[in-house]
Amino acid sequence: MKLPDTAPMPHAALAPPEESSTMIEVENLDFYYGQARALHEINISIPANKVTAFIGPSGCGKSTLLRCFNRMNDLVDIARIGKGRVRIHGIDIYDPDVDVISLRRQVGMVFQKSNPFPKSIYENITYGLEIQGISDRKRLDEVVEKSLRGAALWDEVKDRLHTSGLGLSGGQQQRLCIARAIAVEPSIILMDEPCSALDPIATSKVEELIQQLKGKYTIVIVTHNMQQAGRCSDNTAFFYLGKLIEFAKTEKIFTNPSQRQTEDYITGRFG
Amino acid sequence: MNAPVNPFVARKSSARTIEHIAFGFFRTATYFILICAAVIFGFIFVKGGQTVFRSSFPFVNVPFLTQAPETLYVFQFEGKKMELGDRDFRKFKEERHIKDIPAESYVYSSGGIFPCIVGTVLLVIGSMAIALFIGISSAIYLNEYSKQGRFVHFVRLAILNLAGVPSIVFGLFGFALFVMFMPMLQDFRNPTVLSFPVGFGHYLNFSGWNVCLLSGWFTLAFMALPVVITASEESLKSVPKGFREGSLALGATKWQTIRTNVLPYALPGMLTSSILGIARVAGETAPIMFTAAYVIRDKMPWQVDHPMDFFFQGVMALPYHIYVVSSKIPQNEYTERVQYGAAFVFLVIVMGIALTSILLRIKMRNRYRW
Amino acid sequence: MPTASSTAFAPTRSVGDALLNRNRFRILGLTPDDIIKYFFNGNAIVAVVVLALITIFLFREGVGFFGKSQRDLRLYRLAGLEYVDFIRHEVDEHTAMTRDLNAARLAEFQKLTAEGKTPEQVTAALASFDAFANAFGDSIEDVRGTLSDLSDVAIATKTKARVNEDREEQRDMLLSAGKKEEADKIEIAPVNFAAETGVMKGTLPAFRKVNDQFADKLGAALQSSPHVADPKFQAKIDAVHAKARALIASLPQIEKNMENWNYDAPVPASKAVTSFLFGREWLTASFWQDWYGIVPLFVGSLLVSIIALAIAVPLGISAAIYVSEIAGPREKGIVKPYIEFISAIPSVVLGFFGIAVLGTALRWLSQTPALSWFPGFPMSERLNALTAGCLLALISIPTIFSLAEDALNNVPKHFKEASYALGANRFQTIVRVLVPASLSGIISAVLLGFGRVIGETMIVLLCAGNRIAIPDFTQGLGAFFQPVHTMTGIIAQEMGEVVKGGIHYRALFMVGVVLFTLSLVINYVAQRIVHRYRISIG
Repeated sequence: MKLPDTAPMPHAALAPPEESSTMIEVENLDFYYGQARALHEINISIPANKVTAFIGPSGCGKSTLLRCFNRMNDLVDIARIGKGRVRIHGIDIYDPDVDVISLRRQVGMVFQKSNPFPKSIYENITYGLEIQGISDRKRLDEVVEKSLRGAALWDEVKDRLHTSGLGLSGGQQQRLCIARAIAVEPSIILMDEPCSALDPIATSKVEELIQQLKGKYTIVIVTHNMQQAGRCSDNTAFFYLGKLIEFAKTEKIFTNPSQRQTEDYITGRFG
Repeated sequence: MNAPVNPFVARKSSARTIEHIAFGFFRTATYFILICAAVIFGFIFVKGGQTVFRSSFPFVNVPFLTQAPETLYVFQFEGKKMELGDRDFRKFKEERHIKDIPAESYVYSSGGIFPCIVGTVLLVIGSMAIALFIGISSAIYLNEYSKQGRFVHFVRLAILNLAGVPSIVFGLFGFALFVMFMPMLQDFRNPTVLSFPVGFGHYLNFSGWNVCLLSGWFTLAFMALPVVITASEESLKSVPKGFREGSLALGATKWQTIRTNVLPYALPGMLTSSILGIARVAGETAPIMFTAAYVIRDKMPWQVDHPMDFFFQGVMALPYHIYVVSSKIPQNEYTERVQYGAAFVFLVIVMGIALTSILLRIKMRNRYRW
Repeated sequence: MPTASSTAFAPTRSVGDALLNRNRFRILGLTPDDIIKYFFNGNAIVAVVVLALITIFLFREGVGFFGKSQRDLRLYRLAGLEYVDFIRHEVDEHTAMTRDLNAARLAEFQKLTAEGKTPEQVTAALASFDAFANAFGDSIEDVRGTLSDLSDVAIATKTKARVNEDREEQRDMLLSAGKKEEADKIEIAPVNFAAETGVMKGTLPAFRKVNDQFADKLGAALQSSPHVADPKFQAKIDAVHAKARALIASLPQIEKNMENWNYDAPVPASKAVTSFLFGREWLTASFWQDWYGIVPLFVGSLLVSIIALAIAVPLGISAAIYVSEIAGPREKGIVKPYIEFISAIPSVVLGFFGIAVLGTALRWLSQTPALSWFPGFPMSERLNALTAGCLLALISIPTIFSLAEDALNNVPKHFKEASYALGANRFQTIVRVLVPASLSGIISAVLLGFGRVIGETMIVLLCAGNRIAIPDFTQGLGAFFQPVHTMTGIIAQEMGEVVKGGIHYRALFMVGVVLFTLSLVINYVAQRIVHRYRISIG
């Protein structure tokens, strides 16, 4: 495969494609696993209360970037930031003064493989609140209902809130995880290929949910599935070999990409 | 002539014969091992069972399990052969006003093994508690907190090597460190050893803890440590990464995550696999020979003047008792009872622990699937 | 650039402030989470600390051995014990030959009685041999007398020196306690080693004469040696002849050694080390001289380990192959936990089984006439290296089995599939593919099994027979049926009875150091082998 031209993009191309407030601002970010550089000089501004999709072939760094936003990469021994900044609400989240616990309460995350805890549905939702020391039963009840309704799961599980979360179907489990994430009232929800393990029906339910959530939350979704990116995102960023190739409104990316590599990927010439 | 020949028909070949013979050999070897072990169990169970069980109510030899060891006297009296324990023998003589009766005596062959059972149980419980506490904590550090690096490599190396240290070396170590060196807080200065004043007329005397429960606990616990750490780590590893990530992503601290979302699922596994290691350690004699075990002791462990003395007393222990009765007294029909009986009881205790662990583990394997 | 404040966002509290949470609770600059982390970290260090403490305390107690041993060896020389031992060796060699002759006579006696002769007839037949044997035995009498006299002198000197040492120690203790007056009261009369040994050396000319007479008498006795009809018997007598001639030939050398001997020659520190590592005698509480040579114990440990591994390796590996490759899942589900279960049998119970059942059973087996062709049978002792080895095998089988089984399971599946696809049958696949691919794992399993066996205490203590001597390897396989003593056994047996801090106590700790080092080396080698194997499979 011919290596695409990797001349630096004009910064304008990476600005939010539409006048809107910026939620996450990434500036010249380099990221390493040991000696291997996983991200090269990423610049991206993710607008608030929109759905932003990250697409690109496997190993292109999209998940790595996503995990930079709530510092889940801290858990990987050899991972480190080379240079650059990530700002959320204008605050550099790698600043030593930033409390990573508070950050993660602001930035929720839904994982590729649904991972409900082996506790009841109710306990799954309240977990995030209980670790903050909230134990007021009435408040918890309210949050559980609100979150499950928010995740469009309430009607399906309201009669068995105290049964194990592991007893739900795959799609329900994933929506339970989303409900769990929104229960702590984050401003951002990161989704790392949330539908990759789901069947088409469950996938469409989760996608519907994403549409419902986007007014209230800033959603960043990593996906392998280009149709999914097309269906549910407002803006799309295309990554390749650790670089951000193109970031634009989703319609534009899918109909009229400005970069050759993007077009090749979208039309299925590689990936 | 051109009838099709089935090319896949089985043919007799030397390779096939060799395979049969070899597999037969492997099978024989495997079952030979199992039979050998079964023979040993059988001998001890049958012979020891004769000591421990009774054909009439209450079906168990209660004195054997509830009394202390005594010397057995065998003698001829008025043409009858008598066998009496030490106390009964003295009473017998007093009642009949006889000064002395010529009798053969066999130490420890009468009475029971109650103090040994108690001592063993105390040793196992204490060392188990220490080993589980340190071992599980270490495993949590190694599996949850540590980053790959020289230090962790070093720790793992130490654990691996500790696992290979012979039990008698642990005994020597326990003797040199706990029995002979560990500091005691006392109200006098001991001039023969290292001694530091700590104020209020008290001194920290490095005179050792002596042969006592505490010395035995730590010696055994350190010996069990590698097994407990390895088993606990395995159990922690089997908890899916998603539980930790999910919890951390919700803003839980590391410790909250471990406490609420890792330990509850790992703990049963940790305990069951550790217990097998502990059973093995409970069966060891060499480490307690010089650190905790007495050949004979009149008092029971709870008969102490001061609560602290409880920790600083030596105890009788079943494995050591078995060693003593099987090597220091002759083998004959009189001594055989206590020998086989003690071996039987000990085997049942240790095997019971091990069997519980193995069965629980098989059960758990079927229960937890995520 | 948009800032946080420009983002009108749902949560009412200021998000920026929430992120910059500077008010977390801290002690000494550590958050509670840090403290918990360091707590667990501290527990993890315990393993390192314990290993370090084992090393430190074994050496702390053990190293003093060499100083004490050197002083002991120095006294051995100063007091002239070494000088007397030249004669003692000569006498011992002669005694050994007399013993050989007696043994030969006994064998012949039994043979003749078995042929149906009466004891009187046998005695008559052996009369000429008995005359020779008596002359042979008596020839040494005068030498023995000299030995006895000189021994008394040497021991007396040694005792004096020992008493002085004790007094000095007592005085030092009094001085350190500040009781100078009492200390001054202790009298110490220094021993004049030069004078004492001078007296002994002065007897050398007389000893030369005694020695010459001994050589003459022995030579004469050899001349009178009868020819016997039985070739086996004759061969034994001839062997004694050869040894006796060698002894006569060595006499001038012995005398020369005695002449060159000097009570004041220095004893280098290395002597203490070599006499421990290469000493062939472990002799304690002796009236004459204690020796702490580890060789008999080491050889004993090695011998029982070899027997154990010879049994356990084929069985353990066969079982591993059977369980991992041949057995069905149900069989596997029973055999694996069963063998694991065996590893929990307390070794003291196995040792007791050895004393109570196995030893007797093995000796009975060795006494069956059908097996009398086997070298070393019938066994003379119930408890010997074989009894211990059999039980040790059972101890090491679970270790070898589970590690070997792991190694076999770790061979990637595609190796096996490739072999099957080429039309190999299961046995061919096992022998040509699986075993070679997992060989290093199997070797390290055997090594760790070896470590388990050589470190085992109770079984050898109870069943190995506890005779401190290097087995007589001239008997070939028979050496495996002799009682031995082991490194682990000696510690367990003697530790309870020694004086704390004494030379014997320290010697036992040195044996512990050797065991500890050995276990580390075995572990290290096993790890290296496994490590290499991981890389080669990828």
